Amino acid sequence: MRTQARLGALVPLGIGALAALAAVSMGLGSPADPGPGLWPLIVSLTMVTLSASLLLNPGADTEQEPFSRQTAVVALGALSLVAYTLLIERVGFEVMTVLLLVLWMRGFGRDSWRLSLAVAVAACAASYLLFIVALGVSLPHLVAF
Amino acid sequence: MDFLTPALDGFGVVFEPQNLLYCLIGVTLGMLVGVLPGLGPAATIAILLPVTYTLEPASAIILLAGIFYGAQYGGTVTSVLLRLPGEASTVVTAIDGYEMARTGRAGSALGIAAIGSFIGGTVGIVGLTVAAPLVAGWALAFGPPEYAALALLGILMISTLSTGSLRRSLLAGSIGLLLATVGRDPLLGSARYTFGSDQLADGLDFVILAMGLFGIGEILHSLERLRQGAPPEPRVGRARPSRAEFLQSRWAIARGTVVGFLLGILPGGGATMSSMVAYTVEKRSSRTPERFGKGAIEGVAGPEAANNTAATSSFIPLLTLGIPANATMAVMFGALLLAGVTPGPQMIDEHPEVFWGVIDSMYIGNLFLIILSMPLIGLFVRVLRVRASVLAPLTVLITMIGVYTIRSSMFDMLAVVVLGVVGYLMKKVGLPPGPLVLAFVLGNLLETDFRRSMRMFDGDVTGFLGRPVSATLLAFVVVFAVAVPLLSLRKKLRQPAPPDTTTTLERTPDHPRTAAEPGGPSEERQHPG
Repeated sequence: MRTQARLGALVPLGIGALAALAAVSMGLGSPADPGPGLWPLIVSLTMVTLSASLLLNPGADTEQEPFSRQTAVVALGALSLVAYTLLIERVGFEVMTVLLLVLWMRGFGRDSWRLSLAVAVAACAASYLLFIVALGVSLPHLVAF
Repeated sequence: MDFLTPALDGFGVVFEPQNLLYCLIGVTLGMLVGVLPGLGPAATIAILLPVTYTLEPASAIILLAGIFYGAQYGGTVTSVLLRLPGEASTVVTAIDGYEMARTGRAGSALGIAAIGSFIGGTVGIVGLTVAAPLVAGWALAFGPPEYAALALLGILMISTLSTGSLRRSLLAGSIGLLLATVGRDPLLGSARYTFGSDQLADGLDFVILAMGLFGIGEILHSLERLRQGAPPEPRVGRARPSRAEFLQSRWAIARGTVVGFLLGILPGGGATMSSMVAYTVEKRSSRTPERFGKGAIEGVAGPEAANNTAATSSFIPLLTLGIPANATMAVMFGALLLAGVTPGPQMIDEHPEVFWGVIDSMYIGNLFLIILSMPLIGLFVRVLRVRASVLAPLTVLITMIGVYTIRSSMFDMLAVVVLGVVGYLMKKVGLPPGPLVLAFVLGNLLETDFRRSMRMFDGDVTGFLGRPVSATLLAFVVVFAVAVPLLSLRKKLRQPAPPDTTTTLERTPDHPRTAAEPGGPSEERQHPG
């Protein structure tokens, strides 16, 4: 839990510091005529101050949640969404949708193959009808009417 | 009373058949997501934003608003029957509501909650109808310094009043402000933090941010708990309170309505906090406080009236000042912008059909809710048995396709996934995404008006204090920056103090503990398993 609290302060600290440096190079202007960098500088310095204070004194550790073996499932889930995005224009949305739903239900949720396939195909058909037929969205699809 | 004519014209908008339908769909969807733990109204509205692109502005907002106040009804059902609050705003309802259900009074608890919600909600809308034009008229005279102070106050209040740690909320808020600066400088046009990318030149899109942090973030978070089975199906019985029970809770409903209305208007207030405060108020004003926690019907009626009233009155700052009061209203702000309507004092004149259409739709929506909620309770309980392992992939699918429909852009889809991971990690490390989204929405306004004010004042910061309204607002900023941290420190000291806070113990002045202290009943809050 401590590590997480530190992480939650260190990352914003780093980002804030970099953003502050970049803000200075944008040009601060003067108080009477603020340049593009003045406001980002104020904001990033606030970020730095708050994260530094959290780093030094994290306070009561009640809000963090520990990472667990399930976190790996979350990482896989995020990766599957990236794959969905990258492949949807090449393979078409029908194939990717069925694959995604089967992976999430059978792989992550441990549902039966039968239920997973049934829901995947039904959801694919329903979203086809809703988005492509009814709303006329230009989703890359294989089946055409 | 010349505002009454446009207010009545608004009903013409509501009674158009398709708008009645959207209102019905909205409240039903809202009840549904209210029942489902995990998926909140902010996430649902964010996910549905692309769908509303194709609708008329008034229809879109009527639909989305219905989801928001409908969710307050739905959350009650699971709180009472399963002690599993579907929404944060119904957490306190679980305390006495579940006790009532255990002793066979589930129907009474749900009935009084529905009645309390209806009364609270309706009074809230009447208040909204009367107050909104007044506030909007008053706000027309606001200049950049007033708006800068108001936006600052809004961000500060949502950070101080939300339930989490103050510094973490403020940090999340400042990240939101920084993200808002990505793209062109609003006044000079030079590129900031774009890393040479064309995609970032126009800044981050709010819809993408909200869908990522709230939508995908929530779903990824729920993946961790995917393999838990469904809860057992409870029995409801007759969903109607007796006359005696209604008489017993009528003052609780009245008090809850007042608390909810006032706290709903405050930035950072909203449904969750008002339900908690209403519970504290009931317990403290009761002659028999020992009944609370053992199935006191006032402990259900008060908070339920409060959260519905607050859901309604939190529209006031959004529709009249253009300042969203909480995270859900921030998403609603984005929805209005998408529909081509800029929320603010000019909205009532420029888009009366949206302004009054939305407000008037709430009267109808509340009627739908009271009529629907009782017969549908049984159905909603069965919805709970839909497993998370089916629900999560379906939601993620709708979100991903939804993002694609906005601009047919793969960059948007990737951005949503990345922001979803960020949202998930923020939850893990204890940074609340709500203040980030709210600050992001207000960021542009705050920066632009701050810089305009500095030019007006010729670089003299004290100019803010020379104008009565901005000076008053900044006085509130000081109150919230100093008083609320002190109060929360005092609350912390009441609980067994961790060793590293002992040094601050001597320096803390003794504050009278007010009944309206946020998070008062937190020590008896019961979390879902």
